[in-house]
Amino acid sequence: MKKHFLLPLLLSMFSSFALANEAELVLDQTKIPTDKASVLRGAEQVATVCGACHGLKYIQYRNLLELGVPKETVDAWRGDKPLNTAMQPQMAPADAQAAFGVVPPDLSLMAIAREGREHYLYSYLMGYKANEKGEIENRIFTVTKMPDILGISGAADDKQREEIGAKAKDITAFLNWAADPHGEDRKNLGIYVMIYLFIMTILLILWKKQIWRKVDEMGPV
Amino acid sequence: MSGKDNVVNPERRNFLGTVTTVAGVGGAAVAAWPFVNSMNPSGDVLSNATTEVDLKNIPEGGMHTVAWQGKPVFILHRNAEEIKKMQELSTIEPVADEKRVQDPKWLVVVGICTHLGCVPNRAENGWKCACHGSQYDDSGRVTHGPAPHNLEVPPYKFVSADKIVIG
Amino acid sequence: MFKRTLAWIDQRFPLTHFVKDTAEYGTPRNLSYWWNFGSLAGVVLVLQLVTGIFLAMHYKADIATAFDSIQHIMRDVNYGWLLRYMHSTGASAFFAIIYIHMARTLFYGSYRAPRELLWWTGQGLLLLLMATAFMGYLLPWGQMSYWGAAVITNLFRATPFFGEQVVHWLRGDFQVGDATLTRFYALHFLFPFIIVGAVLVHLIALHTVKSSNPSGLELKQKDIIPFHPYFTIKDLVGVGAYLMVFSVFVFFVPNTLIEAANNIPANPMQTPAHIVPEWYFLPFYAILRSVPDLAGGVVAMGLSVLIFAALPYLDRSRISGGAVYRPVYRAMFFVFLVNMVVLGYVGAVPPTDRTIIIGQVATLVYFGTFLFLPFVSKKEEAFLIKRGLPPAVMDSLK
Repeated sequence: MKKHFLLPLLLSMFSSFALANEAELVLDQTKIPTDKASVLRGAEQVATVCGACHGLKYIQYRNLLELGVPKETVDAWRGDKPLNTAMQPQMAPADAQAAFGVVPPDLSLMAIAREGREHYLYSYLMGYKANEKGEIENRIFTVTKMPDILGISGAADDKQREEIGAKAKDITAFLNWAADPHGEDRKNLGIYVMIYLFIMTILLILWKKQIWRKVDEMGPV
Repeated sequence: MSGKDNVVNPERRNFLGTVTTVAGVGGAAVAAWPFVNSMNPSGDVLSNATTEVDLKNIPEGGMHTVAWQGKPVFILHRNAEEIKKMQELSTIEPVADEKRVQDPKWLVVVGICTHLGCVPNRAENGWKCACHGSQYDDSGRVTHGPAPHNLEVPPYKFVSADKIVIG
Repeated sequence: MFKRTLAWIDQRFPLTHFVKDTAEYGTPRNLSYWWNFGSLAGVVLVLQLVTGIFLAMHYKADIATAFDSIQHIMRDVNYGWLLRYMHSTGASAFFAIIYIHMARTLFYGSYRAPRELLWWTGQGLLLLLMATAFMGYLLPWGQMSYWGAAVITNLFRATPFFGEQVVHWLRGDFQVGDATLTRFYALHFLFPFIIVGAVLVHLIALHTVKSSNPSGLELKQKDIIPFHPYFTIKDLVGVGAYLMVFSVFVFFVPNTLIEAANNIPANPMQTPAHIVPEWYFLPFYAILRSVPDLAGGVVAMGLSVLIFAALPYLDRSRISGGAVYRPVYRAMFFVFLVNMVVLGYVGAVPPTDRTIIIGQVATLVYFGTFLFLPFVSKKEEAFLIKRGLPPAVMDSLK
């Protein structure tokens, strides 16, 4: 009796796993670079291309200096705005609303604000494709109002695809930094903390053994 | 020592114990730093540490107040007569006027009374503090107590003929 | 000088007595590392308090600025990211530790007489912890914060007659809003101090009934050793090991514990496609969803947490200890544990016909474990006595 009941239950559990996977979007799990050069190239893309419509309200120009963008470049991007102003979109939100029907979202946290995080972002940027009717669609976010800025839908050959992919990776790398500007410091500090805690725990274990020697000699209760 | 080493009163003051204790206390002390430091001025506060002032908009005889690190800074555009008058040294804390200005036309002082920190009001030929009646001349020097010192001159520099950066 | 100062204090306050009492607290020498989790919970409580107070110096409880103030902490405050990640990771760690602490109590039967009050104060602490965590989760004012609070406060609609009024009273608004955020902040600040007080009560109860031990039997006097230095050092070993696991999360993968949707500011006009509570609420959330009726679901969920309090009376076996000498009880324990994981899974995935069925079965298993325990434990006792038990256990029955 019991068996008859358990088996279908187990089966249904496994099949529900499969079902859940089917319904989900398949994201491109390409590794997003973390090296400084990529991040800086991404900064350029975001400031000059994405920046036309999107702002980064939690990133101020001074933060770009901290990141390592050269002073002259930052000065060129900010014009006469002070260093401690946030990166605003060049297009006023109201104009964007009129042109696209929606205000382009802020990009400060975009790399961590969608399920799938950086992979979602990369897949989205690379997700444009012409459908049967010849319209450009995005397979990740079907109702997006953003045009295919990087031009992946019109890529002629693999070489061009690769170039566009590299740009998308750089942009994602920069937005990863923008979402978590202390990530690098955090990991570096973390290594020292781990080393310290490891040594400390070893010391404590040794000391514990020493203190417990007489008790341990007593054997089990 | 070894005689006392039993289950109820085990030996525990030794090299290993000392090393572990020192390492633990040291680690805890270092770990306290992020907490202490989190109370220091944050990045955005520090980024406001300098203030740019465009002098073009201040007419002769006019005064502008700008905020620098959250404090009021008086910028006084003095005319020739006022400059001449300020050459006298009849103040409580005598400091030559030329030591308090970079360009005699422009006086830049922190607008906080050196007595108890009120902001003095512009009066004829200087400033008067409403709180306790201290008076300052057009060089920001105290002419009448109770303020003990002249108004502070903040660090600033001319980045062009009509633009200064305070801080 | 020191002695005289101490004497002066002792005349007015029992300091020496207090320190001695704590240090010499007689502890069974056979406690395994499973007994570390109580003191570990204390360490996490202190860390949460300290990081929380430093975060409070920068956080703003106002719907217009709350989200921004978190980003301010993460970006501009010196080591603000460390404080915040310690606090957000610490919340999960707290539950993980408490759940292990509870699992140990269940496995070894530490809730049984005379430790009922110890167990109940622990229950109270769990409820306080849940309330504190729930209110703290609203503070970042992200999408998950908002909708989590909206859904949970809505549960109180199940209140007879005054449902709507109670919900509005809790929120101070028709929707979760500014008033809700500010009061959650005030209470999130207050509750930890109540927890500290409740921990003291828990400890006083512990020092009265003494620690249980893995043998399940009362130990002889020679097997009782002073808490200090034996268990101070053993607890510190546990703290060291814990801090390593904690640091891996804080420094290397802190965002795994923060839902992606919570990086989007709260939007009362749009619910995220899939709302999930934090992992530590998932099993209870699954029970809520398994009952196809609002009031019934709420009652089932409340009961699922409170029913633990009845355990000292549900477990009617006279065989001492928990699972050590009792194979059936042990089997029930592991079934319960696996069932908990199943419930957690059900709570985490979007509801489908299948997961709802699985959830309902798991809910029945959950409550069934408690309901059958009185009969099972009695039958098991008879069976084991007939089959024969170690002499020490038999002695304890007399």
